[in-house]
Amino acid sequence: MRLRKIAIGVFGLALLFFSGTSFYRSRHLKEPVVAGAGVAKVARLGDYFEGIRGTTNDANVYVLEGTEPGGTILILGGSHPEEPAGRLAAWILAEQGVVRKGRLLVVLSANRSATTVTRLGGAYPPDFSIKTDWGEQTFRMGDRWSNPLDQWPDPEVYVHYPSRQELAYVDIRNLNRAWPGRPNGTLTERTCTALTELIRREKVDIVIDLHEAELQYPVISTIVAHQKGQDLAAMASMMISGSEGFNIGVEYSPLSLHGLSHREIGDNTDAISLLLEAPEPFLDATRGRTGTDLLLTGRDPFIVKAGRHGLLFEKIDENGWPIDVRVGRHTSAILQILETWSGDKPERAIVLEGIPRYEEVIAKGIGAFLRDPAKADPKSLYFE
Amino acid sequence: MNATASATLVLAVMVAVYIAAKLFKVSTELSLFAAALAGALAGGAGIPARHIAEGAFTYFDIILIFVTATLFMNLLKDSGGVAFVVRSVIRRFHRRKSVLFALFAVLLLIPGALTGAGSVTVLVMGGMVATVLGYMDLPRPRIAAIIFVIAGLSAAAPPVSLWAMLTAAGVNMPYVGFFLPLLIPCVLLAMATIFWLGRKAKPVNLDLALRELPEPPAGMNWLRIVLPFLAFLVLVAAGRVWPFSFPILGLPLIFAAAAGLTVALSPIRLPVLEIARRTVAQLLPLIGTLTCAGILVQIMTLTGVRGLIAVTVVTLPVIVVYFTLFVTLPVSEAVLMWGAAPVLGVPLVLLFNTLNLNPIVALAGMSVIWPLGDAIPPTAIIGRLTADTIGMKESYGKFLKECLVPALLIAAVGTLMVVFSKKLAFLTVF
Repeated sequence: MRLRKIAIGVFGLALLFFSGTSFYRSRHLKEPVVAGAGVAKVARLGDYFEGIRGTTNDANVYVLEGTEPGGTILILGGSHPEEPAGRLAAWILAEQGVVRKGRLLVVLSANRSATTVTRLGGAYPPDFSIKTDWGEQTFRMGDRWSNPLDQWPDPEVYVHYPSRQELAYVDIRNLNRAWPGRPNGTLTERTCTALTELIRREKVDIVIDLHEAELQYPVISTIVAHQKGQDLAAMASMMISGSEGFNIGVEYSPLSLHGLSHREIGDNTDAISLLLEAPEPFLDATRGRTGTDLLLTGRDPFIVKAGRHGLLFEKIDENGWPIDVRVGRHTSAILQILETWSGDKPERAIVLEGIPRYEEVIAKGIGAFLRDPAKADPKSLYFE
Repeated sequence: MNATASATLVLAVMVAVYIAAKLFKVSTELSLFAAALAGALAGGAGIPARHIAEGAFTYFDIILIFVTATLFMNLLKDSGGVAFVVRSVIRRFHRRKSVLFALFAVLLLIPGALTGAGSVTVLVMGGMVATVLGYMDLPRPRIAAIIFVIAGLSAAAPPVSLWAMLTAAGVNMPYVGFFLPLLIPCVLLAMATIFWLGRKAKPVNLDLALRELPEPPAGMNWLRIVLPFLAFLVLVAAGRVWPFSFPILGLPLIFAAAAGLTVALSPIRLPVLEIARRTVAQLLPLIGTLTCAGILVQIMTLTGVRGLIAVTVVTLPVIVVYFTLFVTLPVSEAVLMWGAAPVLGVPLVLLFNTLNLNPIVALAGMSVIWPLGDAIPPTAIIGRLTADTIGMKESYGKFLKECLVPALLIAAVGTLMVVFSKKLAFLTVF
């Protein structure tokens, strides 16, 4: 009996040590960002709302300014960190973007807290790496919801502010259900307040929230547009489908579905709000073996089987949905939206250069657009 | 080896190890853990420390609710409050069985409906209701069945139905329109359950009951009992009525507050630490099962077993999907608990949506069926909790047998709600 207790104790301690080390490493992993030549300054979300300053979610805001005046666009990556194409596309913008006209604001970790946790029961990998010419860059995997270590407990039911719409309790930690935010609310709600303040103060014209979706989810491979951005989204969708080598649809933001960026930013600020969805098989409930391979290649025979039975809203075959394809969809969609906007509103034009389009991202891989932090000027090195 | 063969092999190893462990009289929780470890090894993941620890925390919040709610009820029992309530109810209603049954059905529905957790119903109301039903000469397994089935329905009942909420969130559907599609079947089925299972109940022998029941301590009165419950209800309601100005307490703290008030109001001095120790000892097997079930789910996801099960179910012919809901939903609940909502609920609702059914009514129908799985091994959490709470000594099989008729009725109603969801769409008014 004593031996059994000792054996179980030793096993428990070993589990504690190895899992604890892994959790600590994930939470404290420093993700380097080499701010590109286009970055004029890096602000913090706390600069826009004191209620978020110094917290886990006091995220970096990379500000790229053009030499000519124009409009302002805000790109949000990491609203749901478990959808990595959004963060990686934002990374490329911050590291490679050069703005000729207007301004580009980029947030890579809109919900930084959610980057520090993985889904309980979801068997997510703690992180994933992207190959580059200079080695590998590792990113935190993250989850859909803020880390309970930062925001806990949850209520029995989440009542959205200010609509009072009732949502699943766990969505009180979902950044894309907490817009437009509540100044004295939870960390997630305060983060949305800070982002809303940023949009108002910086007089942002367009906000693009970058996401990915499971193939079994009807809102996929699409631009979700607030009614103020319907024409812009429709035109950009047409242009993308005609010239970029992939199709993207347009969905209109439902009037009665509250808390989402595409609804609340449009309703509560002057900005047009758009949300981009790329396909991410890793999120599908029918996915098979869960790990970085599925995350990065998007290949899964079970999801292919579900597709053969007509259960999916996006096609999938043995080639899957590689991360390069998903990131390329986002960069091309952003560029097309900007070109359409600038053509339509020359006085508020935003001209962005240096960003690879869909085909180039696929041809060269994302790694080709990530800068080597070891060779970077320390003044341009930031961490997420 | 292809993905299907690989996941099937891992599943077979898990099942074999679980059965072997049970044959060697290993406890349910350790059998689950052994199955998870074997699955990880068979799936080539080694002993994945991070996944084991992460999985172990999947149901952490529910465990905290179990502990604090049971502590509250044990304190109330030791203060003499339960004996006082039971004696009073028996005195007042011993000749009016129908009124008593209807009252019990409503009382059992409320805690779970407010919190979304059938366990809360069992822990808060189960013991007291069981004591009264015991004096009506109903066998313990039948009493357990009444409490378990209605507790399950209470969890599905509005305003908080976690299966419906989690699935709705998964398909980006607002949790709106569910009130009547959930309320009507839950109330009717709860009434049907108590009247069916209680049909052979005899009127309470008042003299015998009052002689046998422990005397509450001097000074015990309704106020001392009602106030902690009232505090619980007020704190839950306050979060809902003033969500933007009232702090989020969480159910564990609310139960702890009710427990604190029970201690303060008790007419006798309560040995709080001793009761707390007893509570944890009482719940340890359940806590262990929940912890190990979380680990099992994590390993099933890691190795592709979860996906294999999900894709197999949703790719069955539609007619088979309809008429196996009464099996697939409870079984998924037995293994995944609320995790069943995102794993099976989301694909099923999307499937029903593509078939032009009404997703709200269909999901409500599914939500009524899901809780039946809480009596099924390997986890059987609420079933075991019920048996423990009411002190059932008979075999678990007898309890399951008593659940059969109400379960079949619930499965039939839930399935019909899915099949005829379009015709029932008028219920989705708020």
